[in-house]
Amino acid sequence: MIAAITVLTIVLAAAGTVLYLGSYFWGGFLILAAIALHLFKVFKRDGAEETMALVKKSYKMLWVPLAGIVIAIVTGGIIMVVTGYNPFKAYAALFYGGLVRNWHISVLNAAPLLFTGLSIAVAFKAGLFNIGAEGQYYMGAMAAAWLGLTLNLPSVISITLIFVIAGAFGAAWNFVPAILKVRTGAHEVITTMMLAHTARYLSPVFIRANGGDPSTSTHPYVTTEILESNWLPAFQSFLPEANYRLHTGILIAILAAIFVQYLIYQTRIGFEIRAVGQNRDAARAQGISIGRNIMRALLIAGFLAGLAGVNQVTGLDHKLFENLQAGYGWNGISVALLASNSPIGVIFTSLFWGMLDAGGQYMVRTTQTPNAIVEIVKGILLFLVVAKYIYVYLGDWIRKRRKRRLAAGVAAAEGAAS
Amino acid sequence: MNVLSIFNTDLLVAMVRLSTPITLAAIGATICERSGVVNIAMEGIMIVGAFFAAVVAYFTGSPWLGLVAGVFAGGVYSMIHAAATVSLHLDHTVSGAVLNILAFGLTRYLMVLVFGHPGTSEPIARTLGNFQVAIPLLSRIPVIGPIFFNQTPIVYLSFVMVIFFTWFLKKTKTGLHVRASGEHPLALETIGVSVYRMRYLGVIVSGLMGGLAGAYLSIENSASFTEGMTNGKGFIAMAAMISGGWRPVGAFLASLFFGFADALQIRFQVFKVLQVPEEIFIIFPYIATLLAVAGLVRRSRPPKADGVDFMIERPEE
Repeated sequence: MIAAITVLTIVLAAAGTVLYLGSYFWGGFLILAAIALHLFKVFKRDGAEETMALVKKSYKMLWVPLAGIVIAIVTGGIIMVVTGYNPFKAYAALFYGGLVRNWHISVLNAAPLLFTGLSIAVAFKAGLFNIGAEGQYYMGAMAAAWLGLTLNLPSVISITLIFVIAGAFGAAWNFVPAILKVRTGAHEVITTMMLAHTARYLSPVFIRANGGDPSTSTHPYVTTEILESNWLPAFQSFLPEANYRLHTGILIAILAAIFVQYLIYQTRIGFEIRAVGQNRDAARAQGISIGRNIMRALLIAGFLAGLAGVNQVTGLDHKLFENLQAGYGWNGISVALLASNSPIGVIFTSLFWGMLDAGGQYMVRTTQTPNAIVEIVKGILLFLVVAKYIYVYLGDWIRKRRKRRLAAGVAAAEGAAS
Repeated sequence: MNVLSIFNTDLLVAMVRLSTPITLAAIGATICERSGVVNIAMEGIMIVGAFFAAVVAYFTGSPWLGLVAGVFAGGVYSMIHAAATVSLHLDHTVSGAVLNILAFGLTRYLMVLVFGHPGTSEPIARTLGNFQVAIPLLSRIPVIGPIFFNQTPIVYLSFVMVIFFTWFLKKTKTGLHVRASGEHPLALETIGVSVYRMRYLGVIVSGLMGGLAGAYLSIENSASFTEGMTNGKGFIAMAAMISGGWRPVGAFLASLFFGFADALQIRFQVFKVLQVPEEIFIIFPYIATLLAVAGLVRRSRPPKADGVDFMIERPEE
């Protein structure tokens, strides 16, 4: 009985997610049904108290980000009023554009961010900051473009190969920072950042060598299109009304997030990585090798960030454009921090970030409000979510005030009595 | 063209000019980390400083006011980092990363607001680059003279800063307190000096210096503000700080080395001495930075409590 409910829940959630991502919004009801079913299962199995505890836990987890979102949006609105824009119109356009009208662009934006966000989250679990995910992204993208141009195999095999090999290129790009960190203690923030700039400037060289040479090509600054057999399938192949550009990269990214969640919380490797991240001395005392786990975490991070590049090349563009300001590395940091480095959380934050970007573009087109307001809202939100101590501080203050008022009340009562 | 002809005095003059923003930011970061706060927000502080320096210099016509505005803006912006890391006990790297992201959004928004378009601002009529001063006598010394003593104001200021902060850290009481706050904060608090105050001081110094570095980029080395014009210099400055062993003089020497790599790169690119894609040269300073950090990091020791949160429990009322 319980097993049957579990299977049904997973099927409903999966189908609902795919439909919703493909702009079939009634898929949302399936997701809600799956959540209800899950709660029902917990109720059946563990009783009412456990169910309430679960609801309370989810509510507690969500209120900091949600409060952050509300405050950031209000602050952004105030900035707009002060600088002479209409916040109601702007926000209406932002949410209508991001959530409804151009939802497919939100999803397209989210896929690479999900990969880089996971990459940064995994590194954070080991106490490392993979600030140069952008570099691994470029390496993955270049490898994917090159393989996409040359591999002529059945789709399933070649796409799998591209994901594995190009991901490995991303991982290899992190090998130098990893070995330097282990051997000399060179800080990964600097080494990965320097390699990110290096990879960024290597990409134009690669593009010119693969059909993007301005002196010979009619389409300069972009590689030749990769073979059609190496394209990721589009949503349209099974959901006819989905936007034609929407591809299944987001589904692979979500699967990757679930896998990373499993890897970090259910396996020995994940346990060791977390142990190293939380307390190096304690981990060493337990016989866990610090060096090996730093290596593991940075290579996994590099692999995941490389997949972001694969996703863009094989799914969205089918070629590699010269774009030195892609920004997936920086935005990946944001979505990872916003999700408190929870791999499952990154799914939602990357969709939210993608929505803000897509909605922001729509807002610019329809209301002439500058797009950078979205960047500011993002920055404020990020700050409110990461600075958790603010809430502790606030809680302390309120408690103290209440105590003082209570004491004053008692004193007043005593005064009246005597 | 002969490759060797690149190696002349001009190359070394360019080295000093290109290293100046790195030197300033690296010294700021050094003071900040000696006080115990890791500051990876230098990049963001620099871009904020560059923006406000350019705006004020453009609208008032005075590059000197621009300079003041840039330094001030950097200082104010760094206060957020100080409040977040010291008072709100946020992880230093996380706060730094967030401030970098926020800085780029902020300058882009203000760019549209002030100049009406993103990208590059309108050129500034008078920049500090117009105030090239040759120091009498000293500038006549062969080679050394033109390299160090025939420069623009902020370049001279950076030399002064190197000496000043070396003196500050080593000889003053406050400097000693700053160092103690980065090495053993509890001991400092025990003798009755506020660690919070020392750390705030360290962060604000890095903000002022970062703002100065940014001002150099937008109103001395060039005549306009461009989005993303820091281009990783904030991170190279951190590398200079590490390679220089968390000492102002060391940071200065490391910055000169990175400036040299950059100057060399530009010359190779312009004179096309080798038939390879120009990007290979652009990459060169980044690789040089990576190698320097990798080679020198083992010999330098960070402050013991660098990046370690310090929380003091104060009695309730």
